[in-house]
Formats: sequence, C-alpha cells, structure tokens
Amino acid sequence: MKNPQRSPTNPGSVRSRFTQVFLQSLLRIRKHSPASSSSSSSLGEFLKRCHRVKVAAYVSMARAAGTRRAWSRAMLWRVRHDAHRHRLLQGRCSRSSSRERSPGKKKRRTKKKKKRRDDQEHGFGNAEKLQKLVPGGEAMDFSCLLDETAHYIKCLVTQVKVMRSIADFYSL
Amino acid sequence: MEGSSTPLTQNSSTFAIGIHPNDQLPSCFLVAGWEDALDRGDPFESALSSMVSSPVAPPLAAGEGDDAVMIRELIGRLGSICDSGQTSPGSYNNSAANTSCYNTPLNSPPKLSLSMADQHVRGGGGGGGFPAPGCHFPGHPPFVPVMADPGFAHRAARFSSFGARNVNVANLNSGLGLNASEFPGKQGNMLDSGRFCRVPSSRSLKANDGSQICVQGNDRIFLQSGISASTPENGEMGDSREGSSISDQVAHGEMHARGQIDVNSRKRKSIPKGKARESVASPQSAKDSEVATENEEQMTKKIKPAEADGNEKDTVNGDQKQSKESSKPPEPPKDYIHVRARRGQATDSHSLAERVRREKISQKMKALQDLVPGCNKVTGKAMMLDEIINYVQSLQRQVEFLSMKMATLNPRMDFNLEAFLSKDILHPRGPLPDSLYPVDSSGSMSYGYEPRQGLMPMLSVVSSNMDTQFPADLLNSGIHRNASLNLPVMDNYGEAPAPGQALWEDDLQSVVQMGLGQNESHRIEQGSLDAGQMKIEL
Repeated sequence: MKNPQRSPTNPGSVRSRFTQVFLQSLLRIRKHSPASSSSSSSLGEFLKRCHRVKVAAYVSMARAAGTRRAWSRAMLWRVRHDAHRHRLLQGRCSRSSSRERSPGKKKRRTKKKKKRRDDQEHGFGNAEKLQKLVPGGEAMDFSCLLDETAHYIKCLVTQVKVMRSIADFYSL
Repeated sequence: MEGSSTPLTQNSSTFAIGIHPNDQLPSCFLVAGWEDALDRGDPFESALSSMVSSPVAPPLAAGEGDDAVMIRELIGRLGSICDSGQTSPGSYNNSAANTSCYNTPLNSPPKLSLSMADQHVRGGGGGGGFPAPGCHFPGHPPFVPVMADPGFAHRAARFSSFGARNVNVANLNSGLGLNASEFPGKQGNMLDSGRFCRVPSSRSLKANDGSQICVQGNDRIFLQSGISASTPENGEMGDSREGSSISDQVAHGEMHARGQIDVNSRKRKSIPKGKARESVASPQSAKDSEVATENEEQMTKKIKPAEADGNEKDTVNGDQKQSKESSKPPEPPKDYIHVRARRGQATDSHSLAERVRREKISQKMKALQDLVPGCNKVTGKAMMLDEIINYVQSLQRQVEFLSMKMATLNPRMDFNLEAFLSKDILHPRGPLPDSLYPVDSSGSMSYGYEPRQGLMPMLSVVSSNMDTQFPADLLNSGIHRNASLNLPVMDNYGEAPAPGQALWEDDLQSVVQMGLGQNESHRIEQGSLDAGQMKIEL
C-alpha cells in the first residue's frame, strides 16, 4: 500500500511506509521468537527481542525514508554491519569476511576525520554530539548535518507515533 | 577629392595635360582646369584603369614598385609645387620645351619614362611654382591617348588606386609635362636616389609651402616637417608617412597601413572600452559570480584576449565599475551560485562563500527550530543545537522503549493488519506532545493489565503515559540523563528488578519496579512516568 504522496519527507507517506514495513518485521520477529508463555522467559530473550524490534523499527524507518537520505543509508549500513559483526563475535564468520566490509571501515575512518573539521564550525561542540546521534552524521559537514537532522527528526517522530499506536493497539 | 585642393586639381589637370603631349599645355599646366580634372578624377581613374587594362607590358611589374613609388613622390611634389607659389623660373620657360619632349619620356622604356617622369615632376615642381590661379588648363584632352607608354599607364593606374592620389598622379604628370625638357639630364638622379620621399597625400602637399617643395635634385626636401603640419587629415595619414618620409620607399601601402593602424588603434581603443562595459554588464546581468572579485577576474579574462590595445586601462575601468556595481546593491544571495557582495562587506571570495554558508546554516537552524519543540524560546545557535540534541535523544529513547514494548506485545500480537492500519494509521492516536511534557500523574493507567511478562503491563502503562508525557524539561535536567547514563546497558538481565530500583531516581523508582532490566527501565523512565503510575509488580 503506497501513499499517493511520494515525497519521502512527507510524514504521511513515510508513516504509511514505515507502518507497513514495521508491521511486517514485527510479524517476522514474532514468528522467529520462541513461543514462550512463561514469564521465565529470560530477559535475555526479551531483550533480544526488544533489540530486534528496535532494529526492525529503525530499519523499517530507514527503508521508509528511502535511501536518498544519508542517515537512512548510514543506518541501514550500520545495521548490516553490526549484524555482521555480531555474527563475527559469535564466531560464525571468519575474520576475512570482516575485511570485506571495507566500506564500513572507511566510513568509520572518515567519520573520525570529518569530526575534526566540523569542529571549526560554529557550535562545534554540539555538532559532535549531533553527529553521533544522527546515523552517518559524522561523515558530513555541518550544513548537511543540519539537513539530515531535520529529516531524521521528522522520521523519528513518525516512527514513534506509529510504534506507539501499534503498541497501544495491541496492548489494549 | 577635396574641392579645396585647387592646386591639386591643377595638378591633376596638369597631369592629364602632361600626358597629352600634343596639346599646347605649357601655359595650361597650372590651370584652374585642374578642378575639372579633379571632377574628372573618377573618369580619369577609370581611364587610367582602362589604360592599365590595355595590353600593358607585364614586365613592368618587376620594376613597378620602385617606379610607382617614385612616381608617387613626383606627383606629390607636383602637388606641393603647385601649392606653393614657388616656381623655378627656368622650369616655366622650359615648360613649353618640356612638352615637346614629353612624348619621349612616355615612349621611352619604363625606367626612363619614370626618370623622365620624375624630372617632369621636378619640372613640374618648378612649373608648379606657377601661380596656381594662373594656371589653367584647357579642357583636358582625353587622357587615354596619352598613355602610350604602357608602363606609364600602369603606374598611372596605380596612382589612381589611391583616392587622393589621383591628384598626385596629376601632379606627377603635370610635373612631367612641365619640365620634360629639364630633366633629361637629371634622370638618373631621381631614379637612382632611392630616397624618394613618399608621396604624401595631396592634401598634405597642398599645405606645404613652396620652400619645401623645391625638390629639384633634392629629394630630401620634399617631405619635410612642414608637410606633416598640414591638415588634420594629414595628421592621420601623413604623420606616419612623413615620419618615414626619407627613409621609406617601401610600399606606400605600409605607410598607408600604418595610418590605418593608427586609425584603427584609435577605433580599437574605443572598442575595448565598449567591450569592457559589455563584459562588465554581461556577467552581472546574466550571471553573478559568487564573488565580486571573481567577476572582475572574469572580466579581465574576457577583455584581454579580445583586445590588445589599452586592455589594462579598460579592464581597470571595468573593474572599478564592476566593484562599484557589485558593492552597491545590497542584494541577498539568491542562490548558491548567484551571490553578490553586499554593501560595506568584504568582497573576498572566501568571505562571500563563508557568508553564504552561514546563511544556509541559519536557514536550516530555523527549520530545525520548527521541528524541535520548545526551541522558540531558545536563541542562539549553541542553545539551539543543545535543544536539538536533546530532542533527538529523547526520540531515540522513545523508539527504544516502544520497541521494547512491542517485544513484549509480540507474542500477543495478532496482527490484524487491515484493521490496524485502517484504525491506527489513518487516525493515529496519542498525539506526540510537542510542548513540554508535564508529568501526568494520572494513576489510572492500565493497572488492569495482566502481567504476562513483567514488562508488558508496565510497558502498556508506560506507553499510555508516554502518550502525553515527554518531559523535555526532565530530559534537560540532569536527572534522567544521569539515571540513564548510570544504568548499565543490556547487561544485567538476570537481575531482579528490585536491585534495579536502587538505580532509579525517586520519581523513577516506580517505573523501575517492573522487573525490567536496568537498560530498558532507564529508558522507560525517560518518559517521565509518574511515580504513582508505575507501581506494578512483577
């Protein structure tokens, strides 16, 4: 179901897209999560699920926002990379595969470098924090960072609204 | 032909007459009929050209150059002679004699004829001393028959090629006709002396005094400084020539060209200015570079290759103009590219770019201010950034919290997508509180929830509470932050909620009493759940 408004920055379209994707992801998680009715289901499981839900939420949001936005791309990349890294930690993948993720590493390096340059911008101290907050924010200058922040805030707001509505719907 | 050049006309007529040996011209050499010759300059010219077109000996072409030059000089001299009142008495007397032998020079080989012509010129110079008014040629016989000598015809045609030089030609011929007899002995002089002065325009000659012209045997005198003084027209054409008078025999065209160059230089000097102005206007009107100095640089680049003369001056003028124009209008930068330096501001490229950047950033900050609640009261970029950061953090925490909530709800979820979507998406519930988040102390929160899991009821409660309560103030306060920061992250899963309570602040303890891990709980607390609401036991 696509919203007639194609603008990714349009909260309506973003919302609808996000909702759709998110619900699908939730369904997926639900299927994958161990069906446990016992309260003893460890918090670990719960937390894992929470994490998955959160990731799903962010991923769905990023997808809904579209890859036009740097932060969405960065978020998707980060999720992918973190998942991969997670697998690495689990020992499933060899280290060679980690080296394949060179773009990710480059991204991290560029983040460090760009950080110094952005210090010269006005509001430099806060710019660093903002860069950390916004996914992919460290690899852009201050003006782009502000743009991405604006869009990111819009999407976050939409995401929160949708998630809340979902939660409320099902919590009732 | 200038009508004022009466003597020139006379010269021309004399020339014509000289060409026509059979006519009784001696007395008619300096004839007012020269005016007629002038009038007939064109026909004369055409006649000459026709004569040239007639089978003229081509071999003349080799020596034509020199001959032509000399003849031109002679003509010029004739003109000057005629202008001046100076006359060589002998020449006058000889005029008649000259005429008689006029044919000979004409019929003689070209070189000789030229020498004769020169001599004739000299003679004509002397004859030219005849009172100009006194001279009056009878109606010119047609010149065509005169040109028996093909070389002479050729030369005459050359002379005719010069607009004013018809007169020179006439002068030359007049000289020819006048002093034909005088010159035979002096043929070599004129010929050999390669120092024939260039034949200045007849006008220049006209202004000359006779003293300058008395050239008999003296070529140098011919073009003296006095010649150059003459008319302003001469100044244009004659200056260059006269400067090179004695030394130049080379093609007359050079002098002519130089004169043209002078004229062109003047014209071109005017042109670059116009072009400079145009180029100044064009970059401004069409496209304003990001920097005013860049505009100037562009202008200079455009101008310099365009014109060679007076470029620097023009560009300087253009630059000054450009800078003035750029600095005057205080136009705001319309676009990233089209930026103009404002009045009283630095026009440096860097400063302009910096200004553009700053303005863009300020615009974006204003846009963010609309997004982030509570920023209206905050002024200043630093404070704005702080607010923005806080807001983003709060949003992220909410997302996490909600995800956690969903995680608890997940098993319970029976996703009725259609219903859900139709219900919730189109009519989203729970407006996100943009204003400050008052802590809602409504305790009627979802106490009825069955705690399937320790988290769920709390989650539901929290979520409901969070619908209206997002305390920006609490976020801003160090409390939540500290609490969130102090809490371990996702590590202490196994701990009972009770221990986690110790980590919470007072207003958050109730929230924490849920058995949640500290990680989630501290996030939940960010929703500023009221203490009274969260007293949910596992």
